[in-house]
Amino acid sequence: MLFDLEISVYLEALYDTVYMTIISSIFVFIFGLILGALLYSTDKNGLWENKIVNNVLSITTSGLRSIPFLILIVLLIPFTRIIIGTILGPTAALPALIIGATPFYARLVEIALNETGEDLKETGLSFGATKFQVLAKILIPESLPALLRGITVTAIAITGYTSIAGAIGAGGLGNLAYLYGYARNRLNVTIIATVLIALFILIIQIIGDQAVKKTSKK
Amino acid sequence: MITLKNVTKKFKNSDNEVALNNVSAQFEKGFIHGIIGISGAGKSTLIRLLNKLETSDQGDIKVLDYSDIRELNKESTRMLRKRIGMIFQSDHLLSRKTVLENILFPITLHRKLEASDYDYAKELIKEVALEGYENRYPSQLSGGQRQRVGIARVLMNKPEILLCDEPTSALDVITTSQILQLIKSISISHQITVIIVTHDMNVIKKICDTVTVMDKGHIVEHGNVDDLMFKAKHPQTRAFIKEVGLDLASIITDENREKLLLLSFDKNIVHESIISKMTNDLSVKTSIVYANISPNKNGVMLLNVDSKQKEVIKYLEKELVVVNRVV
Repeated sequence: MLFDLEISVYLEALYDTVYMTIISSIFVFIFGLILGALLYSTDKNGLWENKIVNNVLSITTSGLRSIPFLILIVLLIPFTRIIIGTILGPTAALPALIIGATPFYARLVEIALNETGEDLKETGLSFGATKFQVLAKILIPESLPALLRGITVTAIAITGYTSIAGAIGAGGLGNLAYLYGYARNRLNVTIIATVLIALFILIIQIIGDQAVKKTSKK
Repeated sequence: MITLKNVTKKFKNSDNEVALNNVSAQFEKGFIHGIIGISGAGKSTLIRLLNKLETSDQGDIKVLDYSDIRELNKESTRMLRKRIGMIFQSDHLLSRKTVLENILFPITLHRKLEASDYDYAKELIKEVALEGYENRYPSQLSGGQRQRVGIARVLMNKPEILLCDEPTSALDVITTSQILQLIKSISISHQITVIIVTHDMNVIKKICDTVTVMDKGHIVEHGNVDDLMFKAKHPQTRAFIKEVGLDLASIITDENREKLLLLSFDKNIVHESIISKMTNDLSVKTSIVYANISPNKNGVMLLNVDSKQKEVIKYLEKELVVVNRVV
């Protein structure tokens, strides 16, 4: 017992938070990488420069990023109901988490690819590489440390989002803090939930830093 | 080998500034060709047209056995690029790959690696004097060593032409000299025609056979390096030559122009005292205006001859000196 609640209640909430964060981070990494690569490649002087496509992608990305997360969840309720079958529980939070965080990560991917740069693109082409090879064999592998740094930051942001999602029924530590701490005025529960979230974020950061260190040869 | 005919290239920016204006040039097989010019002269644009990193707006470009490279489709362009290597000012190595992996990389773009590729890569590593560095990452190498890796890597595709875009601009004087020597030696051992773009006349003087001087999108002068050093007319060319300590305007004046002879000595005869013997034998008055003579290297000399010019020329030619008039 910890402040009137079984430890298993905290563990279950922690599990839900970890589950939501990890699953959505994996999807965000994949979708964000694709969207970011498209944003980079269709931009001016990109591999497949295309002003119209770039504008559409760019406006969509910025548009999605400008929607506050709480409102995004509400907007996505019909969509979530169709693909998940329910709007309650951690799995139901995934569509909103993924759609909310993908544009953010895509911008980080775009920045990373831009910084890796023009020089390597030309080098690859001068060896007779196809444009796709330049992207897949040169730019993305060279940007890997920056991409990992980006997904670390994004995963931490997603952890924050899970607690917002938790407040309206997704479960997890945010849900616990809201239900007991806010609705029943048990500040102690909120503090424990906060400490657990902080520890989880710390672990994400440590894993991210290690991964960056391991992949970066600079 | 490479022929450009009336080539024009405009920049894609809003002003449509002209990078190359109706340029025609020819680069023969088997030589090291230098292209010199200040920033914005169009020299980089010119070589980037040759492997289609840029496409010209007008004019024909013949490279190797391709009669007009502007017409090439994607696949042929890749094949063209495979046959033309390019190295850049900075090494552009892949930071997450080792020296060996970097050198093998161009092959992986075209096919799977075979055992013979590793053998060849090791041969190249030896040739660029980087044995023992195979498993290092670029960040663990000096600037000169990184450029050597870049040179070995470009050789992996067995190119017939090597384009060098300011390959030594980021290096110190001694390293520059070593890299230039390496470029010269690989051009011989691999039978590669080299085109070097530079803004440094020392680079031209050190290894180039011919030089093309560019200014504001035009080719203003072109010729053999030795000839052009003394016969340069364009102010831009003379400015570059002055950079290597040869102020033509002060050496060649309107008064002495007629009297000057340009002598080229083969490295086998530079040690002989031909000039003093000649002044004795013919009893003529001469003065050396300029000389660049050192042991075991081909040398040049500008000699002011007041009288008996014809006899002097005859005498020197008998001694195997190549004589040219400056005018």
